[in-house]
This record gives sequence, structure tokens and C-alpha cells, in this order.
Amino acid sequence: MISIKNLHAEVEGKPILRGVDLEIPDGEVHAIMGPNGSGKSTLASILAGREEYEVTQGSVIYKGQELLEMDPDERACEGVFLGFQYPVEIPGVSNLYLLRAALNARRKYRGEPEIDAVDFMQMAQEKIDHVGMSMEMAKRGVNEDFSGGEKKRNEIFQMLMLEPNLAILDETDSGLDIDALKVVSNGINRLRSPERSVVLVTHYKRLLEHCVPDRIHVLYQGQIVRSGGPELADTLEAEGYANLETDEAAATS
Amino acid sequence: MSAAEQIDPSIDHYLAEFSRIERDLPGSDDSKRVRSTELKRFAEKGFPTVRDEEWKYTSLAAVEKRRFEISDESAAIDKSALDAFMPEGFEAYRVVLVDGYFNAGLSDLNELPAGVTVRSFAQHLRDNAGVGVKAQEVDDEPGSLAAMNAAFFTDGAYVETASGAVLEKPLHIVCVSSGAHEDRMTQVRHRYVFGENSQATIVEHAIGLGDKAYFANVVTEAVMGRNAQLKRVRLQEESERGYHVSAFFGQQRRDSRIFNHAFDLGGRLARIDTNSRLVDQNAEVHLNGVFVPTGRQHMDNHTMIDHDTEHSISREQYKGVLAGHGRGVFNGKILIRKDAQKTDSDLSVDALLLSDKAEVDAKPELEIYADDVTAGHGSTVGQLDEDAVFYLKSRGISEEGARAVLTYSFANALVEQLGIASIERYVEATLLKKLPGGEAFADLA
Repeated sequence: MISIKNLHAEVEGKPILRGVDLEIPDGEVHAIMGPNGSGKSTLASILAGREEYEVTQGSVIYKGQELLEMDPDERACEGVFLGFQYPVEIPGVSNLYLLRAALNARRKYRGEPEIDAVDFMQMAQEKIDHVGMSMEMAKRGVNEDFSGGEKKRNEIFQMLMLEPNLAILDETDSGLDIDALKVVSNGINRLRSPERSVVLVTHYKRLLEHCVPDRIHVLYQGQIVRSGGPELADTLEAEGYANLETDEAAATS
Repeated sequence: MSAAEQIDPSIDHYLAEFSRIERDLPGSDDSKRVRSTELKRFAEKGFPTVRDEEWKYTSLAAVEKRRFEISDESAAIDKSALDAFMPEGFEAYRVVLVDGYFNAGLSDLNELPAGVTVRSFAQHLRDNAGVGVKAQEVDDEPGSLAAMNAAFFTDGAYVETASGAVLEKPLHIVCVSSGAHEDRMTQVRHRYVFGENSQATIVEHAIGLGDKAYFANVVTEAVMGRNAQLKRVRLQEESERGYHVSAFFGQQRRDSRIFNHAFDLGGRLARIDTNSRLVDQNAEVHLNGVFVPTGRQHMDNHTMIDHDTEHSISREQYKGVLAGHGRGVFNGKILIRKDAQKTDSDLSVDALLLSDKAEVDAKPELEIYADDVTAGHGSTVGQLDEDAVFYLKSRGISEEGARAVLTYSFANALVEQLGIASIERYVEATLLKKLPGGEAFADLA
């Protein structure tokens, strides 16, 4: 699905990513963990196309194309979805309007006709039930007066509606109570299929218990310093990130 | 010869123009004397210049150098020419003025409720020798352009509501500049006289057809009886070479309320003065405005709320959206006089700059002489939140589309306070069409 090679990036001259290599095959869920400031959110943002970051080296091949050369809206139309750590509020523009516009943008990109209004509403009703939101909420402005948990549910709602090939969820599980966490993890599990891949950026093992990843990668000081199966989460929880420096030292020596 | 003594060729033109049409202007002999006095006042002051503090950012040089003429009659226009300007689903009584004259054929005043008079102001003056060209209740109408209007106005709408009368359907007053000839001016004056406990919604809609240069000078006087309520909407859609000047003078008795909503979308240059004087207790005025100068448009809103006595309320919110080389000005003056204790007032103005060539000057101006008042004010000038732009792009919306949608969101918060759904949709769709990439999102409205 996506192949990241030797990715270097900086913000305002300060290096954040220092040679990230990562392969995510079709149909797999990969988690990226690591301490604060290790570059996890930067990586997620670069994949979605946020412009504050300057990529200085490396490549990201997505479905055979160089992702870094595409605009964010083009990436979305190609099936990339970013679940935001801090979703924005857009009063006066309803969640449903945004979703219909987003779906139609993608259809236009593919040369398909606009979605039928009845089909759209049926689809919305079905997916809304999956995330425990109400139609009344969906008709309100985008994230307008939503609580933190409601915003994250809405991100998952959007993800389910847009059916991305590559979903990157940036700390979507942070700050959630257990009910909301289950909604988020159920949403991700629903999306899992042989033609879709998911990247979970997270601080917490808790999400990974409900949504077991195929691989876990540890990002530290801008590099992937360790990769493993789901059991790596237990190791990290037991040992923390304290001995990563020695790992890294060992890896580079 | 000093500058002041020079004969201004522009003023000369208007003196001659007045002589040409004076005989046909409506009003009694008394009225004619007032018109002459007002003409003199205009001639002495001349057009405002940027040396005048109130006109610091708005130059009328382009207006002054032209020689506008009053039309002798309204051009024959087809009803269908106005169709594009009629908000869908907007049910209203209608007064249509073309080139400054009441047009009975295009108007619709059928089945007005008892106690409500709506008619041509010119006809009202002809039928009632006692009615003056200026409302007695409105103390003074400062500025040379209001004086010019008092001298020249050819017609307008006269609205009178008897005590307790309620106009359920809004009144739509459409002022059309036909664009039939170059360099025409329309001088229109409306008067609203509201009896005790009466209520009405009036939409003043300025429309320009064609591509000729013209000057539209509108004055509205509103005399509000006790506990009366006016919702007034100004919808300004002059054409590309239209110069629009509008002044509103409100006089509010006890417990009366004015809700004023202004939407400035068109014209080459627009200057709007909105004044209300709260002369009695518990009078209340709300001024909302959205101005959207794009391209090379210039829009200047000046407001003046005069809290004259205790326990009166004012709320004022303006939003500017500036794109291209658009130029915006806002000056909101709130005067709280010595006796106006317990005044409760709040003013905010927010401007959104969509281009680095656009410019805005926004200033609240508070003058407070009472010591027990609440008077809040705030002013912001900003750009779109880039995080929000990125959010929308990450969902597949184009860059332009994202900016149009977020601009809509910014303005909509104020537009939706209007409470007339058909006009809200119309304003929002018109706003979106003005923005690059916005047309595709016109169905947001």
C-alpha cells in the first residue's frame, strides 16, 4: 500500500524525521508508538500533506505513485484519510454537507457522477449508527460545540463514509473514555479489509487491545528504532521507552 | 483667490441641474423652500473629501468629477430583468422604484392590512401639503449628501403604520438603476412612520442593471413610536460602475426596537451611514452588517448610535470579507450622553482578509459621558485559519473551495441572525458566487 524510504523532514530548519523507513502492505494495520516529540504526528501530517513540514530527503510511494508530489486534496481523492488529533470546528457548514462535498470531490476526480441524495442519506444513517452519533449531530456544523470525544467519533464517522484505502489516525484514541474508545476501535475494525491499510499513531496500548495491529513500530528521535508484532506493546508497557537510546546506539554502532 | 472662493464646477453643475428639474419636484411651496435651503447647504459644503475626518478613507473624487443628471422618467424595464434579484421563496409586498420614480406596474401592494399605508412618497407629498421633505422628528441630518438628497429627491416609499398595526408579510422596496443612460443619478428618500405598538419588516434592495456609471443617493428616515418594531434589511447589489451612498436616520421613542441588517455585496463604491437616536427609556437598536468588497470595490460603513437617556440598549456586529483589491472601512460610533445612565451597549467588528492586496480600517469609537453604563467593544482583523483549510483539503476539497467554505462559515454566523430564511439563502449564495471557487458551493446556502 505504502512504502516510506529514508524520509527526512524538518520544520523551521529543525530536523524532525531523520530517515524513516516503513513498509505497510495492503490490508494491514500498523501502529506507530514512541515518546512525545519523537516525530509521530509529523509523520502522519506529512503523509496527509500538511505544508509546514519540509521534506528534505526520501520518498513515499503510495499505490505506485509518489505521494509527496500530490496536493492534500488530491491525496484524499486517491484514498488517503487523516484522522486529526485536533479536529477543527466549522460552524454553519454541516457535517453532512462536508461529507457529501468530500464524496463528490472524489467522484469527480474519478470521473464519476455525483452521489444520489437518497443513497447518501441511507449510507450516512448506517454509518452514524456504527459510531453512536445522532442524525441531529450530523446535521450540526462540523464539530460545532462537540466535546473532545464527539469530535473523535466524528472523525471515525467521516472515515467510514469516505472508505479510504489508507487511513492514518493521529492519536484518535487520546482523551477518550472507554465507550468512545470502543467506538473508535470498532470503527477501525470495520474498515479492515484486504484492500485497506491503517496506520495508528498512539501513545496507549489500550487501543491496541481492542484493535490488534499486524505490526508495531517505535519511532524515536525521528527514526524507526524497533519493530515487532502486537506483543511489542506489552514489552514497551513493561519497560517504557527508557532503553531505546541504547537500542539506537547499538543499531548505529 | 483662495481655494474656498473658487467656484467648484461640480457644484455649478448641480445648481444648474436643480434649476432644470425644480419645477417637477414633489412637495408644497414650503417644501420647495426647504429644498432650496438644503441645496444651498450642499453647495456650501460640497462633496465630502478625505480631509473630512468622517471621510478619511473614502474618496468621492470619482463621483465628484462626473456630472450626474436626474432622469426625467423611469426607463421601461421588463419585469423579467428583476427576476434574478428576487430571492426564491420570498413572499412580500413590493414597491419598485426605477431610476428614482415609483413604478406602479412592477409594484405589488394588494391586500395591505388595515392601518398600514405604503405608497409613493412623491404622491404622498403632492396629496398632503403639510408633509415636509424632512421628517420633523428627525433632529438633523448631518452631511452634505443628505442635504443633496433633500434637495433633489424625486420619490421613494412612504410607509405609515397605525397604532397596533402589524405587517405580517415583509415589504420589499426595490430601487433599480436601469442603466439606460450614462451618468444618471437617483435621489430617493423613504420615510417610515411607526405608530405605537406597530410592527413591520422592510427590505430595501438596491439593484443596478447594465454597465453604465450612475450615482444612487438614498436617505431613509424612521420615526418609531412607543413600543414599535422595525426590522430593516439593506441589500445592496449595485452594478459594477454604481456609486452608492445611503444614510439612515432613526428616532426611537420608549420601548421601540430597530433591527437593522445590512448586506453590501455590489457597487464600485458604497458608503453607508446608519444613525439611530434613542431618545427614550428602554429603546433598543441592533445593527448587523456584512460587507464583501472584492475586485476593486470600496465599502465604507459608518454607524452612529446616540444614547440620549437612561436604560437604552444597543448591539452592533459587523463582519467584513475582503478579497482581491477590496477596500473596507468601518467606523462605529457610540455616544452615551450624560443622562444615559444604565445604557447597555456592545459593538464588535471582525474582518477577514482573503488577499494581501485587500485592506480594511475598522474602528469602534466610544464617547461616554455617563458613569454607570455597560459598553463593550472589540475589533479583529484576521485571515482564514490554515489548520481549517488543511482539514477541508484533507477531505478532498480544493484549496479555493476550502477557502470559500470557510469564508461562508465566517459570514454565515451573522447572516443567519436575520431570521428570514429566503433572504439568508440569497445573501449566502450571492456571497459564495463572489468568491473564487465559491460557485461550486452555492448550495451551502
